Amino acid sequence: MTTHEQGQAKRSPADWLLFVVGFVLFSALGFWGTPALLYAEKPQPFQFSHKLHMEQVSDGCKSCHYFQEDGSFSGIPALEKCKDCHSDTPNGDTPQEKVFVEQYLNQNRDVPWLVYSRQPDCVFFSHAAHAENAGLECAQCHGEHGDSTSLRRYEYNRLTGYSRDIWGWNILGLGGPPKRMKMDDCANCHRDNGVRDACFVCHK
Amino acid sequence: MNWDRRAFVKFAVGAVVGIHASPLVPKLMDDSAIWTQNWNWVPTPEKGALAFANSVNPETGTGVRARLIKGRLQGERLIRIEGDDQHPASRGGVVPADAAAPQNMYYGDFRVQTPLIWDPLSGIHQAATWDQALDLVAGKLAELYKAGKSQTVAAIGADAESVSGEILARFMAAYGSPNLAFMPSAKQTLALAGWAMLGERNLGFDLDHAKYVVSFGTPLLEGFGAPVAVRKAFANWRQDYQRTGTLVQVESRASVTASQADVWLACKPGAESAVALGMCQVMVSQGLYDKGLVDGALGFGETDKGKGFKALLDAQYTPAQVEALSGVPAKKLVETAVAFAKAAKAVAVCGPGNAGEPGRLFDFMAVLALNCLKGNLGKEGGLVVRQPLPLKPLGEALAPVAKPRLDALAGKRLIDGYDPLSLAKAALAGAPYKLGALLVVNCNPAYSGPQASLMAQMIKAAPFVVAVSPYLDETAKMAQVILPAGTWLESWGDSLTPYGSPVGLYGLHRPLVNPYPQAKSAGDAILALAAKLGGPVAQALPLASTEEALKVRASGLGDFDKLSQQSWWAQAKPAYGAPAMKTPSGKLEFFSMGLHNLLTAKASDGAAMDKMLKALGVTASGSAALMPHYEPVATGGHGKLVLAASASLRASAASQTTAPYQIKVLDNTVLSHTKDMVVEINPATAAELHLAEDDRVRVDSAAGGAEARVHLFAGVAPGMIYMPVGLGHFAPANAFTFERGGNYNRVAEATADPLSGTPVWSLTQVAVTKL
Repeated sequence: MTTHEQGQAKRSPADWLLFVVGFVLFSALGFWGTPALLYAEKPQPFQFSHKLHMEQVSDGCKSCHYFQEDGSFSGIPALEKCKDCHSDTPNGDTPQEKVFVEQYLNQNRDVPWLVYSRQPDCVFFSHAAHAENAGLECAQCHGEHGDSTSLRRYEYNRLTGYSRDIWGWNILGLGGPPKRMKMDDCANCHRDNGVRDACFVCHK
Repeated sequence: MNWDRRAFVKFAVGAVVGIHASPLVPKLMDDSAIWTQNWNWVPTPEKGALAFANSVNPETGTGVRARLIKGRLQGERLIRIEGDDQHPASRGGVVPADAAAPQNMYYGDFRVQTPLIWDPLSGIHQAATWDQALDLVAGKLAELYKAGKSQTVAAIGADAESVSGEILARFMAAYGSPNLAFMPSAKQTLALAGWAMLGERNLGFDLDHAKYVVSFGTPLLEGFGAPVAVRKAFANWRQDYQRTGTLVQVESRASVTASQADVWLACKPGAESAVALGMCQVMVSQGLYDKGLVDGALGFGETDKGKGFKALLDAQYTPAQVEALSGVPAKKLVETAVAFAKAAKAVAVCGPGNAGEPGRLFDFMAVLALNCLKGNLGKEGGLVVRQPLPLKPLGEALAPVAKPRLDALAGKRLIDGYDPLSLAKAALAGAPYKLGALLVVNCNPAYSGPQASLMAQMIKAAPFVVAVSPYLDETAKMAQVILPAGTWLESWGDSLTPYGSPVGLYGLHRPLVNPYPQAKSAGDAILALAAKLGGPVAQALPLASTEEALKVRASGLGDFDKLSQQSWWAQAKPAYGAPAMKTPSGKLEFFSMGLHNLLTAKASDGAAMDKMLKALGVTASGSAALMPHYEPVATGGHGKLVLAASASLRASAASQTTAPYQIKVLDNTVLSHTKDMVVEINPATAAELHLAEDDRVRVDSAAGGAEARVHLFAGVAPGMIYMPVGLGHFAPANAFTFERGGNYNRVAEATADPLSGTPVWSLTQVAVTKL
């Protein structure tokens, strides 16, 4: 056949199968390969059981995650708070407490917990405005930590360094809680609830 | 199925479409954008537990609240200085020098982090331990002591009233040297003027309640006393956009204060007191003065000492004469005087000069006279007497040192005092004896003067210099031994009532953070030296630390822990009520018997007194010499223009170093072309000198010179040139301020104030040449 004749010859519809194969293969790469390559796990310093601790304290979540006098939120408690109950002799016999006492408490080192909801420095967030004024429950954004016996898996984005919780565990950004915490998610909630969503509300 | 190029292309297109149908592209784009935000454009402190702590800045008297973060890795860091809204004077405000203080504190390259000893072989300062440094200094001092030369050791301190000042004074007295000088301040001048006329050293201006304020030659809104307190008072006069208070500013430049005032009386440089006396004359001639207080005062009418104040006013300070002296139109003068006299709560204010100079005695006396005529003594909104702060001394009073002083004016002074300039002049002359060693504690005379070039010369020439300083500043650079001091945010110390405050205020600062563990409080450095020396010096200072000294000092102010947490103590409100006159006559004295008695103690008869007064620089003769009067400013030197400083809250007080943040807020009428200082000249004067806007010039006086750029500003009196302060640092360790602009203190020539002998450096004759 001449090239011209070749060109004129009918092509097999099976050619388009290749299109489909290419499409399926690479969209799969996009959907599943991306998160697999992008995210990595980092273990927490040691496992912490919220359930166990909730049974011991009298004030619920507020025992360790509370508002200070000036209205700022205490966040994840510092070593000083742990010392309220823990001392250099372990209270129980869990291997995790042993790690805590030996490697952190006795050495007066603050535990470098990995924070699931860490936002960039440009973001101003007030727990008081949300938890007290708006009456949101902790679990609505952070998930049911309080009932967990161990800390959730912490994965971070290799490129940005932020927790996987921010974009959301689903690559499409669906599902939750814990709620996604991208800027749009905050803005959407503000808009839906008629709260101001101007730039300066969160970027001071 | 053809396995050819086209098939491959179909596959490839499918792949591309597939990728784009997945979240990969938007996800990676979003992540890349966030990745770029992670680059360290702006270093941020680690997050951590938040805490607040109070303090008071000793330089500005502002009550501040420090915001501290305790990071898990970085430890406690001070991240911001805010105002303490409970502080009765500053009420939550801060000035740039307060806000920028943490920046200087954390500027590691500029801080003295360990004791440093000059190594002549390598030509640099080498790090040493405290023991090594103290051994060296104590060794040198002990050597001089044993040789009977303790008086050859001189010391310069920042604030005589502070606890470190008191510790230094006890150290020098016990060691046996009379040569202790402190930076001169307007507080001394006001105290002296008050003593001369009222027998009262502790005076303040009740600006908060005043309704008509006339400020004479002082930058009321740009660096007077505790700047924030004054600004708060000023805000009262402008409440709700209404002018409930009137401010009249008398000076020779359209400064910020003059611009924000209701009336600006533009007067010739140095003639502000003539304006005050003119106002006095108008009030007296129109009978608009407090007859009850004034008619019976000593020296108002004729006395056996000569013609009284009233006659002096009528002879020399009529509106027409004052117009000739000062340039203020007679009509305007009369108008202002009458308004002042008739206002319900009026006060006349005097204070430090634009560069923080101490002010002149007779100028201050003129302003006090105006207040007395107004009759606002002890009244709301007027001149008030403060209760002295109930502070206890650190120990038994020590006997004054019997050795002869080094300063040039020793013996010739009428008013006892000791200023660093007169020390420098004598030290450089090498008479009556040579300097053996020099201690400079918490100040920077090589930069801030008075007359910085002379101070720098003295420091260079001194055989052994010890600097106790937080910074590797101009003075420390020249020292043989540098002992690291903490800044006010990291050390113990105190500050007493700011200039002009109507209530007694005590400010205490304590260590809030400890970024440089080897830095000690300035008082601690001296105490450590005393302990090393042992003997009578250690006995005079049996205090373990500055904190202990403060406990002793402030024992009358309540619980020390509470005081150090709150950081301030204040008299609840001004002590209103007619003050008791503690003058020799028991009355208000326009003719100062206090000064007269000092004179008669030193001079035997009238002729000798006249001679002494002339020697002290007083041009007035007869009884006028001891009354409030106008002394023309002795500017000396050569040059056609008169140089003065332009005050600004954006620059720092003379001794505190300018922070990089402060450099950033200077606009291009102060600092232009990155490094050039800008001087202001009246357009007509500039035209005469053939100078145009932005020309580079050199400004020279007998004391020194600086380069600058010209800015034409009609708000400057003709024949004058105004220079900003706070620029022209030459300590290479501070890259932000190094060689930016010129140093006003180098160009300004200090002269001795007539009678008081205090150095003043407000006006200097300069020559301006185009470069």
